[in-house]
Amino acid sequence: MKNSFVELHARQHALAILDDDSAREIVGPLDDMISPHLEPQNIVPESDDGVVLMKGQIDGNQAVVISIEGNFQGGGIGEVSGAKIVATLEKVLEDNQNGKTVYPVIVLDTGGVRLQEANYGLLSISEIQNAVIALKKYVPVIGVVPGRVGSFGGMSITASILSYLIATNKARIALNGPEVIEQEAGVREFDSSDKDLIWNTLGTKQREATNLVDEVVEDTVDNIKNSIINEIKTKKDAHRTENTDFYLSLLDNLDLTKKLDIKSYNELFKNVTATKHEIAPAVSGEKEGTKSRGRAWFEAITGIKNATSSVSTVLHAQKDGKEYIAIVPDADNEFPRVRDGEVGLQEGFAVANIVNTIVAEDKDKDVKRPIVLIVDVPSQAYGYQEELIGIHVALGSSAAAYAKSRQAGHPVIDFIPGDAVSGGFLAHGLQSNRMIALDDDSITIQAMSKASAARITQRTIAELEEATKHVPAMAYDIDNYEKLGALYKLVKGIGSWEATDENVAKINSIIDEAIDSLDGDRTLHFRYQTEIAKASGRKATLQVRKLVDEQW
Amino acid sequence: MEKLHFNFDTTDAIKKPVHVGVVASGDLEVIFRPTDKQTEINIVTGSDGFHDVWENVLTRFFDRYPVKANIEINDFGSTPGVVNLRLTQALEALKDEK
Repeated sequence: MKNSFVELHARQHALAILDDDSAREIVGPLDDMISPHLEPQNIVPESDDGVVLMKGQIDGNQAVVISIEGNFQGGGIGEVSGAKIVATLEKVLEDNQNGKTVYPVIVLDTGGVRLQEANYGLLSISEIQNAVIALKKYVPVIGVVPGRVGSFGGMSITASILSYLIATNKARIALNGPEVIEQEAGVREFDSSDKDLIWNTLGTKQREATNLVDEVVEDTVDNIKNSIINEIKTKKDAHRTENTDFYLSLLDNLDLTKKLDIKSYNELFKNVTATKHEIAPAVSGEKEGTKSRGRAWFEAITGIKNATSSVSTVLHAQKDGKEYIAIVPDADNEFPRVRDGEVGLQEGFAVANIVNTIVAEDKDKDVKRPIVLIVDVPSQAYGYQEELIGIHVALGSSAAAYAKSRQAGHPVIDFIPGDAVSGGFLAHGLQSNRMIALDDDSITIQAMSKASAARITQRTIAELEEATKHVPAMAYDIDNYEKLGALYKLVKGIGSWEATDENVAKINSIIDEAIDSLDGDRTLHFRYQTEIAKASGRKATLQVRKLVDEQW
Repeated sequence: MEKLHFNFDTTDAIKKPVHVGVVASGDLEVIFRPTDKQTEINIVTGSDGFHDVWENVLTRFFDRYPVKANIEINDFGSTPGVVNLRLTQALEALKDEK
């Protein structure tokens, strides 16, 4: 009989990967590190919060396995489970920086953000991505996607950033689950009852054909372990989020007049030649662009009227030594799923391209240019062709680019006059080390629309709204977001649309203060260190970090 | 979700803590911790209204194995058979460690 890896639970996954008798669990079920946010919503918690951390050896090499339990709440990442992963990756980083080689392996069986702890999930996932980027300078960060859940949502973005991805054919990888796409874009966009379509599009066999997975093995414990050992020996890196020219060239060649089928996409994928893409700074145009809060502030701050660019939804420009980047709606965009300002394929790859160029230009400078993100992103794009091509890689590319720029010494500052939602926010916003937001009721800051979140968590919208009263991380407004402690400043008295000269001056001075406050900080730790974070917002996070540190 | 609490008079003290199971659909996790007091069981269950069923399952278990421990259970809709299986599995795990 075959010894299935997929059928095992998270703890067994970790034990199966590590050498016999070498494993030691960190912050395990006996440490009482339970999510404080589930019981108030009448949800049964788990003593390890669905993440198993196991130190040990793999083929004699020091290693850590971080294993996500797909059977507990769909493997969703909340505050405690997220903090366990982040704290562990940061300890692995510390060890490697001190000359002690430790190999991290992440078993991804996860739906992404745990919707019942929405904004904590987003914060944690961005922190995981940041740690992965930092670690890749020292060791490969190896991902295993065994299935049944697969790797979805924000954790598919994380998967795209990992050095090397091993999967079985029982797994799927995608940003948006089919049900969410159907909910947001209609059954014609993606029929979530069509299992063949889903597996042919998101299944790992198709992912392997287009380099979104590095290796698909038959489901046995030995196969998985051997692939990991082989990767530790060969240290291959897929550089999956560093192909912006290739993907922007591919998108140039896409025929958007007809529905993309898998066969013709694979054909296109094989035949694309990458050409150099440079996305020039925005210039003044004749025609007014589609109105949005993000555009209004971008134009007011940079002084560029009717700003336009070669990628109509991505604007960037330098002003007073700072680089401003905004993602904006374009009602006439040829990609229908981004017309309201969502972050889609082109947006992710274009932003990555711009940020990578900035980093390259400033490579030898002592003082790196600050990058200011103007955040008004209602979500990621929900679409069939987006998933087929791999929107998670597009979003991973920009998230990775921002993280790298910050780690290279660029101050990365968010100015949030509009929405900051889900994958859009992960791609454009959550890698910043200071967040400035306007205190305006119109701002939505969340992981998923109410309709979709209700559908996925099998609750009514009324029940969902009731839950938001007890758990600030579930709420959709900026005032509740402030309670998590992640904001540098919540600016009162300026409305989302009030991009006047006077207000621009005020915001500029706050941005300058934020940059000064960095004092060499290249991390995301500020989020845990604010008074609000320490007192309540990230209490559980800080407790997890302390425990991981003690037990390391 | 419902929280349940039970006490039992038992005799066989355990020396080490043990954890088994997963809070998966139709499954539960069980933690036994050593105690010098009475056996105390705290349950968080996703299925409301099964107090008496739990009491029966637990009474039967402790009649057979009078183990003395502080017990925590997180349950996501498991049947009495599965509950009994996990409790017995926890005892097995305690034996293995000795």
